[in-house]
Amino acid sequence: MTTTAERATPTTSAAPRGNPWWPSWRGVGLVTRIELTRRRPTTKGYIFYGILVAAILGLGILVAALAPPGKTSTPMELVLILVLGAGLLIAPSLSSTSINGDSSEGVLAPMQMTRLTAGDLALGKLLASWLFAVAVLITTTPLLVYAFSRSGWHWYELIAVLGAILFAVLTFTAIGLAWSALAARAVASVSLAHLTTGFLVLGTLVIYAFAMPLVSENVTVTDRYVDYGTLTPDEQEAYEAGELDYSTVQCTEQTYETSVVHTDTIAWLLLLNPVVVIGEAAPVVNPNTYEEDDRAAPGAFALMHQAVGGAQLGSQGAPLGYDECGDPNSQAWSDQWDQQQEEQALFPRNPWLGLALQAVLLVGAMGIVIRRLRVPYKKLRAGTRVA
Amino acid sequence: MEKLDEKSGATLVALPPVMSAHGVRRSFGAVHAVVDANLEVAPGTVTALIGPNGCGKTTLMLMLAGLLLPDDGEISVGGADPRKDSAAVRNAIGWMPDQLGAWDNLTCLQTLTLVGRAYRLPKAVARERGAEVLGTVHLSEFADRPARVLSRGQKQRLSLARALMNDPQVLMLDEPANGLDPRSRVELRQLVRGFAAQGRAVLVSSHVLSELDEMVDEAVFMSKGKTLGADTDAMVADARTRYRIESLDDSVLRDAFAHWDMPFEEVDGGLVIRAQNKEHAASILEALVKGGAKVHRFGPFGSALEQTYMAMNEERR
Repeated sequence: MTTTAERATPTTSAAPRGNPWWPSWRGVGLVTRIELTRRRPTTKGYIFYGILVAAILGLGILVAALAPPGKTSTPMELVLILVLGAGLLIAPSLSSTSINGDSSEGVLAPMQMTRLTAGDLALGKLLASWLFAVAVLITTTPLLVYAFSRSGWHWYELIAVLGAILFAVLTFTAIGLAWSALAARAVASVSLAHLTTGFLVLGTLVIYAFAMPLVSENVTVTDRYVDYGTLTPDEQEAYEAGELDYSTVQCTEQTYETSVVHTDTIAWLLLLNPVVVIGEAAPVVNPNTYEEDDRAAPGAFALMHQAVGGAQLGSQGAPLGYDECGDPNSQAWSDQWDQQQEEQALFPRNPWLGLALQAVLLVGAMGIVIRRLRVPYKKLRAGTRVA
Repeated sequence: MEKLDEKSGATLVALPPVMSAHGVRRSFGAVHAVVDANLEVAPGTVTALIGPNGCGKTTLMLMLAGLLLPDDGEISVGGADPRKDSAAVRNAIGWMPDQLGAWDNLTCLQTLTLVGRAYRLPKAVARERGAEVLGTVHLSEFADRPARVLSRGQKQRLSLARALMNDPQVLMLDEPANGLDPRSRVELRQLVRGFAAQGRAVLVSSHVLSELDEMVDEAVFMSKGKTLGADTDAMVADARTRYRIESLDDSVLRDAFAHWDMPFEEVDGGLVIRAQNKEHAASILEALVKGGAKVHRFGPFGSALEQTYMAMNEERR
């Protein structure tokens, strides 16, 4: 009797044991599908999207037609920054209303009642929001292809940077999702998600700026120059004509105090910045030999890398003083400048610290989300009901 | 009424409860939502959970559904303890929440198909079952319309359909009659009775007590987080023995009852007496008519559940 009844409904699999939370491919895929179908654009949305794609295509063609010949990485960097910016705005906005929004709409608990686990729901929601950022990337493809052709980058370098961008977006999407699991109201979780993004993008720079005085040191610099008052009238004439023999005249020295900042001790603050991570993933361009290297002139990313490289190198002792008598054309100073520029620009790429931070945030955020999605609830978000 | 007596007589015999709660307690911070809840739901029966707003009905249902952990007490659903095998508990239950929610952009059939797949049904099976369940709740014509165009009552029925997708052993309905038109209420009653007739259990909470009267076998009353046990059971049983008689001249009735030494109450427009059972009621009526009383109405006095509810609230005041 029981067996026939069971045979009549062979559809539901055996009763589950315990209270599993781990995700399955099938569960994550289903939740992603549900989320994407739910947020499927309306006809108006598709029209808007079509206009956007047309505008981007048009812009791409226009830029391609008007651009001067020669290599330049600027369009490439603009597109990548656009993708990063749009991704960091759109995906966390979606994810940060995904859980508390569903809960107040009353569609979360019915899902939790099914065989979907907390892991399925968490990863599915993460992926669905993240895929919107991927859609932005795909939308910009025409522009990206053109920009890439002129950038002097190699394809694997582009892949690395795109990977870094999508990973950053994934991390901030997860953080948005965690806020949405923690805060009862959508207003709170959306603002907290964007504040977190803002803190890492701008906050790290502000803290870096404020930390600089703490690691600065006073040093004494000595300038040497010709003591004009002791020169004979003939020598003064020669000096003004720039024909003075410096070895025969008397020089005076003047010392002054200045401060140097040991930025190498606080450069890690910059390396935590997600935008810096993107720059660090971008190719290194040698400012002195880029033409022979078949590269474009250093663009925004290369200059950012150079600045961050300089910060990591820090200040090596006191700066050179001006020595009019020993080196009237400031050759040493200029040599040192060039050498420093190259040293900073060629400083090894270091996206690892930032990537590690993002990985920790990603895993931590998803841990919070899964814990908060597990039923039976021990605790409820203050001011909410189960639904 | 006769339905009720027959059913409760038949089902209470031997079957062990498929869902039970003993000494269940749950508080949210300083709010003690459920203080001491005890109930048993036997397979093949419909049990009502009745109580004023905020008495802890929904909280108790959430704990029974495996969505909320009790602070204390024992719960068992289909032999599983939600503390340990909460997934098995959820799998055994079809839960229709008091809050209506649906994915606005999805059609009814899409919604049910996806829910079916979330219960790990293969796609084709889920779709077939979705269409079947839509038929059960009379929403077939809306199968391809998005959920956002549904009226409140239709959403209610979609929510019920969703609860039926996993072919549950226990159906839990939280305020299912809210927003339903009279026809849908009748259909809901038939559906619930049909479900119980298949040997499954139903726990239903509602404020529409007259509706419940015709639907349920058992009633559990709740007040201030406590289920009221034997007292209210006795009150319901007592309320079910009460008959209201209306006649053209009540003095004939009074004389007859005085003569038989039978207690009666005066109510607006008639008298109320107690009959031990249907046979007793029939014999009283027969005797009254033979004795010359012009009875034009004879029937159960109002809703047994409503009487108990009102009496319970009076006691607690």
